[in-house]
Amino acid sequence: MRKYLARRAVYAAVTLLGVSLSIFVILRVLPGDPLVAILGVEGHARMTPADRVRIMADLGLSDPLPVQYGRWLGDIAAGRLGKSFFRGDTVADLIAHRGPISAEIGVLAVVISWLVGLPVGILSAFKPNGVPDSVARTISVLFIAVPGFWLGMLIVLALLFWFGYRAPILIVHAWQDPWQNLQIVIGPSIVLGLAQGAYIARMSRSCLLEVIGDDFVRTARAKGLREGLVVMRHALPNALLPVITISGVLLGFVLGGSVAVEQAFGVPGLGRALVTAVIERDIIVVQNLVLLYAVIFVAVNVLVDLSYAWLDPRIRYS
Amino acid sequence: MSDFNVDRRTFLKRAGLASAGAAVAGRLSRPGVAAAQDATVRPDPAAKRGGTLRYGILNAPAHFDVHQSGTVANIGPQSPMYDTLIRRSPKDGQTIIPDLAHKWDVSPDGKKYTFHLRKGVKFHDGAPFTADDVKATFDRITHPPKGVVIPRTPLFATVGEIVVVDPHTIEFRMTQPRPKAYMLGAFASGWNVIVRKKTLDDNGGNLRQVMNYPGTGPFRHVSRQDKEVWIQERNPDYWNKGLPLVDKLEIYHLPPFSPELGSSFLSGKIDYARLLDPVSWRKAKTMPGVTAANFNQSVIQAFWTNTVKNKALADPKVRRAIHLAMDRPTLVDVVKDTAPMQVGGFVYPFHEMSTPRAELEKKLGYQADVKPAVQEGRRLMKEAGYAGGLKNLDFVVRDIASFKLWAVAIQAMLKEHLNIESNLRVVQTSVWFDEAAAGNFDLAISAIVSSLMDPSDIFSAWYGKDGPQNYSRWTNPAFHDLAAQIERELDDSKRKAMVRKAEDILENDPPLIPVAYEQIYDAWYNKVHGQNPSTFFGIYDVVRWDNVWLG
Repeated sequence: MRKYLARRAVYAAVTLLGVSLSIFVILRVLPGDPLVAILGVEGHARMTPADRVRIMADLGLSDPLPVQYGRWLGDIAAGRLGKSFFRGDTVADLIAHRGPISAEIGVLAVVISWLVGLPVGILSAFKPNGVPDSVARTISVLFIAVPGFWLGMLIVLALLFWFGYRAPILIVHAWQDPWQNLQIVIGPSIVLGLAQGAYIARMSRSCLLEVIGDDFVRTARAKGLREGLVVMRHALPNALLPVITISGVLLGFVLGGSVAVEQAFGVPGLGRALVTAVIERDIIVVQNLVLLYAVIFVAVNVLVDLSYAWLDPRIRYS
Repeated sequence: MSDFNVDRRTFLKRAGLASAGAAVAGRLSRPGVAAAQDATVRPDPAAKRGGTLRYGILNAPAHFDVHQSGTVANIGPQSPMYDTLIRRSPKDGQTIIPDLAHKWDVSPDGKKYTFHLRKGVKFHDGAPFTADDVKATFDRITHPPKGVVIPRTPLFATVGEIVVVDPHTIEFRMTQPRPKAYMLGAFASGWNVIVRKKTLDDNGGNLRQVMNYPGTGPFRHVSRQDKEVWIQERNPDYWNKGLPLVDKLEIYHLPPFSPELGSSFLSGKIDYARLLDPVSWRKAKTMPGVTAANFNQSVIQAFWTNTVKNKALADPKVRRAIHLAMDRPTLVDVVKDTAPMQVGGFVYPFHEMSTPRAELEKKLGYQADVKPAVQEGRRLMKEAGYAGGLKNLDFVVRDIASFKLWAVAIQAMLKEHLNIESNLRVVQTSVWFDEAAAGNFDLAISAIVSSLMDPSDIFSAWYGKDGPQNYSRWTNPAFHDLAAQIERELDDSKRKAMVRKAEDILENDPPLIPVAYEQIYDAWYNKVHGQNPSTFFGIYDVVRWDNVWLG
């Protein structure tokens, strides 16, 4: 087990190093001048070459790229995530302030996806190709197909024009005011959760259908158990492994989707901060946030892998 | 919920009234000319004191240095904390009135501006305000240190020396005179806030990362959460006794034309919204207890033709033909749900020196019926040797909704009217300015701003030989000579005649193709008193909130 963990840790470190290098290079290679955002259109137009040299040096962008990359990795190792080179706000503060909102949205979305997806999958698997199954499959395809940001915008507009309602403008954390906080996170969580729930419903249906044909399920039925018990106690636990695996992957979709959905709902989370940073070409913020997302994604997938052994005692890590 | 239904008759009535109002207001305003030295802002006698004004505006500045900025992201949240030497009146947004200078004199030859400063004014850190602070501020604006870029520097190009006469008198000595309206307009620009000499000295002349540097303004910094809210409180030691009237400002970060801004206003989460999108603004207009106003912005939406890279586009006839191929009323209509626009020529269409709107609408290129203009355009293309049109032009489009809509429409107009074929290349804002500055385009569409409404400012910045926003790299010696004369001419009527002459040159040899002029949509709940921007020019000069009160 220890060997396995060590190996996974090494793989994770290599993956993250690859991500860091990719994002670092991409941000430097992409066209676009961060000084437009810093100086504004008029100021940028009037900037002399000498001004440019001076400002780039102030921002630490005039050093050779390997030096800049090495310095960034060194900063991360020392626990420093750097500063937005526009306003001087630290990335650590940004994450501390906005991270909890995005984390809540992510966790709630996963919970919703399971709460919705699993029962729908089970319902479908009970009577394949029946009316409930067809309805469930149609709706799940619909939720997979509809873009989250579009659905989010519709919800925002509907609430506004029908009820004159808008969620709070500012970040309110759950420990400050749970009700206000719920109003901020619930919309994006539902939109993201329903889309992921559709995947879970389809996956759990197909896995259950596969398992339901196995000998041990037939045996359970032969013992005279009710169909509900057969499915819930015997078939479902054995069908869950792929569903858990896909949940880890889906978290990646939730992280990625939250960027657009937070924007649609006007939620000031990390996803929205990332969009703004990309538009502003705030390199330091973008590279640190992307790396953070990568760390979360890798960590969740390692945890999912480790959970297999707990869920299925037959699995051994060596 | 308010009623959204407007029948045809009501709509036509309102549209007629609005157009007439806009036309009259546009021609009545005498921008930059009026100055009232005895008109320091005073509290409205009916005003009630207290309360919190919740204001929605872009509030995510890339840095905090107001002098170096050119965006409302700075002026919006920071302006209430600072004063200027003189200012535009919040009553009409035009008349120049005293601010930290209670009086000013201009020498008869126009080469000396003397400002008499108020006594007893204090910065927010308690330090007294003196002429040394004004000198340090304007020394920095006129001659920025290395690595500091100030867009308003050219406005003061003729300021030779700034002399502190005594702690409360300062003189600006000019190398050449400039029209009084131009110079006073430059001093009154909302960007030229007075900062402490010590603040500048302590920070090496660069305030980009200094969030809370002391001003003398009506409000003081309390707290700021990046891209969320900036909270400011009433300055109890404000020199203008009785002001400000509200106790607290909550300035929310709500981007222009965004659904967040619209929904925050319509749901009552903010009291005043600036830069609303047209859909939310129209909705706000129908709501009881809400006032909605539109006013002119200091921005031209334009597209450029590269006169250096492309031989055909260097020919004035081809550019004139492209200018004539634009169906401007349709272009305004194309973006009506995205951004409010109006038709105009090469000078702000609402400026008193520009061709009046009625006259402009009779000219080719501005008429509702585009057929005569298109015919003339085709004739010019033939004369220039491009009767068959042009192919494969690289059309660089800034990635903003209105430009993307326009680019498609313009592409179709050019193809249909002149057989000019172009390939659209949509790029991020920062890339657009890189490409434009490097000349990597044949056609390019974007927007540019000016500090003043005065034609001399735009003649140098937009059309000047080395003008920073002359992306076409256009030159026309006759125009440049005339522009230099206009800049020096002190007689308004002579200037006006020369501006008209300059417009004629620009019509026939366009340095850029004007697409439209932007308008601003504001709305506020009627409990907010003391501000109606209907006659304002732009959103940068009158953002102090000192005379605003809540009923």
